[in-house]
This record gives sequence, C-alpha cells and structure tokens, in this order.
Amino acid sequence: MRNKWVSGLLGVLVALLIGAFIMLLQGFNPLDVYAALFQFSLGGLSPLATTAKNAVPLVLTGLSASIAFASGPVNLGQPGQFLMGALFATVGGLYIHLPPVLEVIVLVLLAMLGGALWAGLAALLRMLFNMSEFIVTLMLNMVADFFTAWAIAGPFMDKTAFSPMTPQIDKAGWLPSIGNFNTTILFMIVAVGISWFVFNRWKAGYEWRLSGQNSLFARLGGCNIDRNFVSVMLFTGALAGLAGGLLVMAGPHRFLKGLGANYAWDGVMIAIVANNGLVATLLYGFFFSAIQTGALGMELITAVPSEISQVLQAVLVLVIVASREALAVILDRREARRRAKERAV
Amino acid sequence: MRILVGLINGMIAGATPILLAALGGAFTYYAGIFNIAMEGMMLAGAFGAVVGSYFLHSWVLGIVLSIAFALVLALIFILFSVVLHTDEFVTGIALNLFAVGATTYLMRQTFDVKGVFANAGIVPIPRLHIPLVEKIPFLGEVLSGQNLMVYIAVIAVIAVNFLIFRTRFGMRLRAAGYNAACLDSSGVSTARMRTAALLLCAVLCGLAGAFLSLGYVTLFAENMSAGRGWISLAAIILVSGNPTGIAVISLLFGFSDGLGLLLQDYRVPSQFTSMVPYVATLVALYFYSVKERKRKA
Repeated sequence: MRNKWVSGLLGVLVALLIGAFIMLLQGFNPLDVYAALFQFSLGGLSPLATTAKNAVPLVLTGLSASIAFASGPVNLGQPGQFLMGALFATVGGLYIHLPPVLEVIVLVLLAMLGGALWAGLAALLRMLFNMSEFIVTLMLNMVADFFTAWAIAGPFMDKTAFSPMTPQIDKAGWLPSIGNFNTTILFMIVAVGISWFVFNRWKAGYEWRLSGQNSLFARLGGCNIDRNFVSVMLFTGALAGLAGGLLVMAGPHRFLKGLGANYAWDGVMIAIVANNGLVATLLYGFFFSAIQTGALGMELITAVPSEISQVLQAVLVLVIVASREALAVILDRREARRRAKERAV
Repeated sequence: MRILVGLINGMIAGATPILLAALGGAFTYYAGIFNIAMEGMMLAGAFGAVVGSYFLHSWVLGIVLSIAFALVLALIFILFSVVLHTDEFVTGIALNLFAVGATTYLMRQTFDVKGVFANAGIVPIPRLHIPLVEKIPFLGEVLSGQNLMVYIAVIAVIAVNFLIFRTRFGMRLRAAGYNAACLDSSGVSTARMRTAALLLCAVLCGLAGAFLSLGYVTLFAENMSAGRGWISLAAIILVSGNPTGIAVISLLFGFSDGLGLLLQDYRVPSQFTSMVPYVATLVALYFYSVKERKRKA
C-alpha cells in the first residue's frame, strides 16, 4: 500500500522534472511555466471549480477503463461509448421536454443507455462469435466517431449554425451551477461512490474482481464468466456514456463537432496510471485535469503552447508505470536476497 | 473501365500504409512482443517525413527523418518493455498517446499551426513511371505510375518473407517468440532479438508514415494515422503474422478504402463511406473467429 504512494509520487516528480527539462531545451523557464500552470488550475476557488468540472469526463472514462481492465474485459471502447452517450443525451434533450429535475434524470439515463448499448454491441459480438473485444471496441470507436459526425451534420444539425452542431438542448436539461461549482461534479461523486460500492462490496463486483485476477479459478468457483463479461461491458459502457452525457449537459448544452476530444483516451491513460484502482483513478483524474486546465491559462501568460499538457501527460504515464514496475522488481530482488540469506544461515 | 482503374489505384494506395506497418508488426509478432505501438510509430513517421521534406527540401531526407522519428519511439519502447520489463500493452498505449501529444505539440511549435499543416514547400514522394509497361493498356495504368513507396512495399513483402523464414536471423527471431527460454539457453539473447524486431518494425512503420504524409496526401494532420495502426494489428492477428497473408489482407482493406471513395460518388454521406474500412475489419474478424471455431471443433 505504502509502495503505491511512493512510486506514484516519485513518478509524478520525475515526470515533472523531465517536463522541465523539455521546456529548458526549448528555452522556457520551467519554474514560471509550472507556477502559471498550477495557479490557473488550483490557485483559488474559481480555478479549482473549473478543474473539478473538467475532471468529470476524465474520471468517469478512467473509472470505466479501470473497472473493465480489473475485471478482465479489454474494453478500449470508451471514446466510442462516450460519443454515443453524448449523442443519446443530446437527442433526448432536443425532443423530450419535462420539468427540470425529471429532465436531467431522463437525460442522464439516456446517456448511460447510449454508452451501454455501444459496449453491449461489442459484448454481443464476443458472446455470439467469440470476436476479440479488444479489436472490436477499437473499430467501433472509429465507427461511432463517423456516425456522430454524420448525426450532427445531417438529421440533427442546427440549420442556423455554420459548422456541424446540434441546436441547444431543452433548458430543463442544463446542469445548474452552485456558486462556482457546476452540479456535474455531484454526479461524478455519486457515480464514483456507486462504482466503488458495487466493485468492492457487492457480490457482482466480487465476481468481477475474481474473474479479472484468475478467470479459471472464478469459473471453477461457480461464477458465470459469460454473464460477468456482459455485465462488466454494460456497466463500463454506461459509465463512459454518462461522461459524454454530463459533458453535454454541463458545458456547451449541444453536440459540437470534436466534442469528444481526447477525454476518453486520457481516461484510459488515467486507468493505466492508477493501476486500475478506483480511488487512484479519481486522484489522477483530478491531477490530469489540473494539468489540462492550467495549460490553457498558462498559454495566455507564457509563450509555451497548451499542447505541452499532452506531452506532460504521456511522460507522466510512462514514468509512473515504469517506476511502479521497476520498484516492484527491486523489492522482489531484495526479498529474494533476504530469503537466500536466511537459508544460508 | 475508368471506375475500375480508379478503384484498383485507390485500393493500392489504401493498402500500402497498412501493409508496411503490418509487415513491421510481423517482426514483433514472431519475436513474441505484444506490440500495439504501430499506430504511434506511423504517426511519428508521418510527422518526421513532413519536417524533413519541408525544411530540407528533399523527399529522401523526409523518409530518413520519418524512420528516425519512428525509431525514437521504438527506443522508448525497448527501454520500457525490454529493459525495465514494463507491461507491453501499457507501454504501447502510452506510446501511442505520447505520439499524438508530441506530434501535436511539435507541429504547433515548429509550424505554428493547429490541426493541419499543408504547404507547397512539402516535397512529395514521386510517382514511378516504368517505361514500356506504361504503354500497356489498362495494366499500364495500374502497374506503372504508382507512388515509389508502393513498389517499396511490394519489395518489403518479399524481403520480410525471406528474412523471417529463410535466414538464421529469422529463425532466431521466431525462436524468441516460440520459446524464449530455449533460445536464451542456446546462447542467443532473446532481449537482443526483440530489440532487433522492434527496430525493424519502426523502420517499416516510419516508411508507412512517410507514405501517409508525402504520398497518400501531402500534408500533416493531427492524429492522421487514424486507426491504421490498429487495422494493421488486426491484419497481423487474422493471418498469424504471415507476410504474404498480410499482403492479401491489406489489399482487402485497401479495397474497402477505395470502395468508400467510390460510394461517395453515389451520394452516400462521406461519414458512412469513411466507416467502410473499420466495418470491413469487423467483418474480417468475424470470418476469422468462425474459422478458428471450426478448427477447434
């Protein structure tokens, strides 16, 4: 447990140092850059609120990937599920008109349905034809990308707009802000809480974890592997879809071209960095959001382009993962040496 | 006839990057590495090619730089997965994302544009006109006048086939994947074979990238590899790494690419025609799993 914190913090430090080195090479002062970066993401209530709001899609897609990877299915379809969730929520918001609270609930459910359906398609292909979900979800990402691009340029396009986008959804479906903080954060906290509870305390979650660690053992122990596979895919698909829906409802209130950006892939990255831990996913999701949010502000007062955040993130991933595995190897060796010594005595 | 020639040429152009990347992946496949970094290597190569071609005014140097950029990614892969024993899947995903981030950042830094860098100063890879063959009706239009990289890809199929199945190096490479412990105990370092496989893979992925940004089109766009690395991975899995099989599968994917372009003429929305190669991959995967099931039964 302690090792996890040590390797995580060590990894973050080393990655920030490498980032500083890259900036130095390009002739920037890394101290100024980092100061600006964290001032615009964590320095004060308003930046903090923005960081928390931007963390929502990252944390939820990260959670989706974490739970999937920890339970066995290689669900890499978060980008596609995210887009389908966003599309479902948007279309729902365009045609369904209900009182405020009810509308929000319906749209959130629709978003989860969209993501779950798209993940369910991959699960179905796996169940019926034994097609590897790894490649299938990746290909479905591209299909979803083009499909949503068609939907917002064709049947659901805002005729008054100059670029592909839908009209705004019903105002009742907009997530309100309390002070600086948008209520989308509440949904994230609830989703993380429920996921943690299901994954760590429920029988279903126990079976998922068991299947993820040793699928043969789980099968012999009486778990229904196929049913668990499908339920994990649906659950993680719903989480990714929820991320997409919330993004629409909290932010632009419509489906714009390029809405998905890199959120879902960043989520996959966060899951990998967090080693599929749910709490760690929440923390790293927030940290990655701080870097992304801060980078946008930093660009205004320094000469460094905001794209540096993408480089920083990738360096973070590689360094944190490598330091974790390297630490494990070193500890194993030490343990082996200690045992060898004990035997010798 | 015009349509057919267009379709075939579209097929060849669509197949080339997938074929080159998949041939690179074949090396790592046989060496027993779960390499999913072809996507990133291709993207890095595409960026390197544009940088070289634009600043050094030569497509040859563009290709050299594209290979160099892809090799950088391969070296990082080697450092993490071969030296530090990090999980290959994790390393591959992180590298792909690193390639997207780094090329986007560097494009912004060096060219000061967002999204797409297109400039008349980028020298494309020339097309090769073969004398005499050029004159043959119909066949001449297909066999001659293709991009130079297309011919390199054809040669690469033969070369990779020879290297993997007919040389001592190839035998050791396959042994590294088949039984690493056995290879190590016979005095050949598995780590060294895997390093070689990854470097070779990067060279071919670099060529694939160079074709994308200097042949297929003459520009660099953010994330322009657009899943082709994943399709090439699917191609490798579908034929268990066999280079000739990879060539056939790549042509099939290329055909779906060309078909997509053709369908656009019949007023099918372009978003749907763009989906065709990815759906074709799913269909191919379906036939593969049916075949696998029959084999097992």
